[in-house]
Amino acid sequence: MNSTTVKRFIAVALAPSLILYALFVFIPVLWSAFYSLFNWSGIGEASFIGFQNYKELLGDSIFWHTLGNNVVFVLASVLGQVPLALFLAIILYKSNAIQRFLRAAVFMPMVLSTVVIGLIWNYVYHPQIGILNFVLDALHLSSLKMEWLSDPDIAIFSLIPPLVWSYVGLYLIIFISALQNIPGELDDAAKIDGARGFTKLFKITLPMIWGTIQVAMILCIAGSLKSFDLVYIMTRGGPAHATELLATYMYNATFSTYRYGYGSTISTAIVIISLLLIGTSQWLTSRKK
Amino acid sequence: MSKIALHSPYAASGTFTMKRIAYTIGWIFITIYGILTIYPLFWLIISAFKSNAQFFNEPFSLPNQWVFDNFITAWTTSKMGIAFRNSTIVSLASLLFTLLLSGLTSYVLARFNFRLKGLTMLFFVVGMLIPIHSTLVPLFILMKQLSILNTYWALILPYTAFALPTAIFILTAYLSTIPKEIEEAAYIDGTSLWGVFFRIMLPISLPALSTVSILTFLHSWNDFSFALVFISKSSLKTLPLAVSNFADGFQTDYSLTLAAMTLSVIPSIVVFLLFQEQVMKGMTAGAVKG
Repeated sequence: MNSTTVKRFIAVALAPSLILYALFVFIPVLWSAFYSLFNWSGIGEASFIGFQNYKELLGDSIFWHTLGNNVVFVLASVLGQVPLALFLAIILYKSNAIQRFLRAAVFMPMVLSTVVIGLIWNYVYHPQIGILNFVLDALHLSSLKMEWLSDPDIAIFSLIPPLVWSYVGLYLIIFISALQNIPGELDDAAKIDGARGFTKLFKITLPMIWGTIQVAMILCIAGSLKSFDLVYIMTRGGPAHATELLATYMYNATFSTYRYGYGSTISTAIVIISLLLIGTSQWLTSRKK
Repeated sequence: MSKIALHSPYAASGTFTMKRIAYTIGWIFITIYGILTIYPLFWLIISAFKSNAQFFNEPFSLPNQWVFDNFITAWTTSKMGIAFRNSTIVSLASLLFTLLLSGLTSYVLARFNFRLKGLTMLFFVVGMLIPIHSTLVPLFILMKQLSILNTYWALILPYTAFALPTAIFILTAYLSTIPKEIEEAAYIDGTSLWGVFFRIMLPISLPALSTVSILTFLHSWNDFSFALVFISKSSLKTLPLAVSNFADGFQTDYSLTLAAMTLSVIPSIVVFLLFQEQVMKGMTAGAVKG
């Protein structure tokens, strides 16, 4: 078969994927950047206003507060999900039935829709019929009861358990694969040298999977920036922007207040911040070698 | 403790008990954690079978009577049946398109060498870094202009597009492990490239294709953001969107909401229970893109 036939096949085979992907993933980002230079309510004329939207964004206290919330999520993920998943992985990486069952149990939330997760946790935090308040009552700790989702000071932190619950399974499985990939000889060598328990853990196991831990942290960061569904379902970003995230703020700006231009600005800001964070974490973790 | 002490038979019982204790504590913790982590789901399903009255008064006991009405009402009056149909159509269509497109692309990427190959692979990898929510606004505008808002295509196209990188990653990796002799025989026989693709490559990639199918299906089934922005006609709402409407405002018919939620998670749970290994491996492979 001649090379023209091959070339044509390659082109035809790749074209649909490339076009679809470019059209729905890449180009929108560029368009977003383009629209961010306009003032537009979604219908009618859009007026070009240059970087005014960006100036407004930088002076927008809600934007900065939102960014802070995203940082809270990122920290909670990196400091919460990753260590927890690591701890669970160390206990659960062998292959007997109970361990497999527990692994599946921890992973299960990953296959549930975020809507269902959000609603379940809404019920957990519900002032009257919620599991949390019920348990506190049962433990005679009723004084600790709070308005978990409507108190502006703690709402954002109340959102952390659902977040962790949803995603810890992913990191668990990632770490388990990494742990299972540690060559058996290392285990034997450790035994011969007399390294056991915690010594073995810190001096051998963890360094061996450090690469995976780094990847997990990057994933965490990228993932936390994507949080939208959970917050939208549980609090809509309220009360009064207390739990607003970049993505929900963007959504509200565009579809609730009809400021497509400003919404696009926030959109573009999300992309820039994501790339910056990922780039920085890549750079930081690669230097460690 | 010095090495000698560790090896000494007298120290053995000391470390043995310590290890035993740590081991037991670890297992108690993990069992409690396992129960806690499953409990919300368990509570959801149990509660869906309760009547509203019992739900309010006894949120944590087993249902006195197993009420099925909630499910029937949810399916008919609250239009969960329609939402189910929409979700199924959209998920299956996205699945098919993803399989076809990623299959072709992976075949080319795994088996052929051409000038722009590296760039193409980079293209898909970089795309994975793009936060999907940044595409919501421009896609909304694009679809409005193409008049495909509030149609099935408004969801099928983006779902397929965003599923491509993971699918291509998984398939390309799998195809690379297949020896080339398999197609070579077919080429020598004169089979066309298309013939080789459909009659050899696709069937051989079945395991990887099934992983991709499951992942794409789950992501399409569970997606909320795109459905929220691109679909407003109630006859076209997919399950997550329909269920989320129960969360709005003045919904106090908890049993109905719970029944609707339970119905929507049944397919996901069934798929997970049947294909556990594949789901877990697939989702982590997609996330850890090398």
